[in-house]
Amino acid sequence: MRLAFFTVLLMVTIVLAQQPTAQQTGVLRLRVRVKADDAAPLKGLARKRFFLIPGTLEQNRALVTTIEQQPLTTRDCYYKQHHASAQLINWLQEGDCESVYCRSIENEFVTGPKAVPEFANAFAANHTEFGNDVIALQWLTNYLSPDLRDGFYKDRQRLLQTLLKQSGMIQSVMTDQKGSAYFTDLGPGTYVISNVLPAELGQTLVTWNCEVHIKPEDLATEKPYLISNRKDKTVKCVGIEKPKPTCAAD
Amino acid sequence: MKTITTDKKIRLYLCLSVALLLPVDYTKFSHSTPKHRAACNTCHKVPSKDWTKTSSFPDITDYPSHDACVSCHRPQFFRSARPPICSVCHSKTSPRDEVRYAFRNPASKLQFATEFPHDKHQDAIAMLRFAHPPQGYNNCTICHGPRTATFKAAPTDHGSCFNCHWKSQEPVAANCNGCHKLASAPYVRAQPVRISAKFIHDGGGDKKQHVAECTTCHINITKSTSLRGLKPDVPITACTECHNKVGTREDLNKELLSIDKNRSFTCVYCHAEKVGSLDPPASHYLIAERAPLKRKDVK
Repeated sequence: MRLAFFTVLLMVTIVLAQQPTAQQTGVLRLRVRVKADDAAPLKGLARKRFFLIPGTLEQNRALVTTIEQQPLTTRDCYYKQHHASAQLINWLQEGDCESVYCRSIENEFVTGPKAVPEFANAFAANHTEFGNDVIALQWLTNYLSPDLRDGFYKDRQRLLQTLLKQSGMIQSVMTDQKGSAYFTDLGPGTYVISNVLPAELGQTLVTWNCEVHIKPEDLATEKPYLISNRKDKTVKCVGIEKPKPTCAAD
Repeated sequence: MKTITTDKKIRLYLCLSVALLLPVDYTKFSHSTPKHRAACNTCHKVPSKDWTKTSSFPDITDYPSHDACVSCHRPQFFRSARPPICSVCHSKTSPRDEVRYAFRNPASKLQFATEFPHDKHQDAIAMLRFAHPPQGYNNCTICHGPRTATFKAAPTDHGSCFNCHWKSQEPVAANCNGCHKLASAPYVRAQPVRISAKFIHDGGGDKKQHVAECTTCHINITKSTSLRGLKPDVPITACTECHNKVGTREDLNKELLSIDKNRSFTCVYCHAEKVGSLDPPASHYLIAERAPLKRKDVK
């Protein structure tokens, strides 16, 4: 009887010992600080998405090369190519917006001297349907042409998906107003941190592709991993800058 | 080919007999019934005919018309003076009374889970440029308005969705399934757990230093592709960068020291009593640059 009890106990112990233990994970605290040009102050790079690609730089060499060499249509060029009015391009530039969803569209951009023709047309289309000024303004983007509504975002998403389709499990986070972001629940190992699509910074395009090592004991309390387009002893990843390409629509 | 044993056959017949004998409860409506899984617009029309009576924007504001039910349930419809099936929508089951429950009936359990990719929305909106309104930029407050002095509210209607998703931008209003997925079982929405119950989003002293871009503290939002498993994760560093600076204020250090002196001390600066009387997590001791300690080990 006693032997049977100990045998069962031993088996339970062995089974429990073989259960996979929860893998310890780490955190990468990112801070991106850039200069638009030499005279400009160092500022946090807000609202830019960064990706963490599993593997070393060498293992991701083909992808990194593609990222660095791919042609990119800048924001302004995209909207010019799709025949956006000068007023719409100006409205986007004023707010450093990539799409019409970035800012609330106020009445002054529908009628009057600051009016954007595309907004005025969309407002009119909605008004015809519901006859309500408030709804016509609030729902205005529903009545814009697809190219101007979300075409730029969709183009970039397609490009991202094409580039990253063979890169396994990728995490991505967006920097906040101060240029900070956190990658959490990271398995220990080596990753390439990249913005994949170059960031438009003044008259240049900046791409970052750097190797980072994550240890399970890396926590949110760690010193930030500093990324910049300027070299400094505290900067761990310096971006590659290229001049913005000329736009065929100019 | 597999043969079914006699024993299994008997059990199968028994189950079928019981199922056939049990009366169907027509007072309960389930979207998971095979025939109720048709395209949403088979029954629901967007917008409802009389949406202006109850809504400030075109929306589904009412139950489907009788046609949606009668097409299959004619016998149940005309069964008696007070057909049970009517009580799915009507608060009074009488042919002379049209009054209905609010749509959707807040007393009923939810049958659909909402899919919402925060990451995609973060790409398009959710920007905070200035600490003071009006800032003119779309941000999280489109959906998460203030509810109380402390926490933000989650959307409960289509108001913030249809601004962009009424038509053209998928998932559009008529594509209910783009956002609403049938849940495996009816459920009641769980309220989020509050850890630091005393935090005030609009607070932070005279300078309102808590007013920041939401993702500065809610660090996992920009990577969340779905609502499943989403927690409002805020690392303690988000708090202690101001609240535990040696020489200025040491709110965390002070409370940890109080535990050192009295193991029953309740941390009250951030937490309500229930959470404040637990062992502080290791992250709190790490910030204080001390080894983690359990209350039971305090001498």
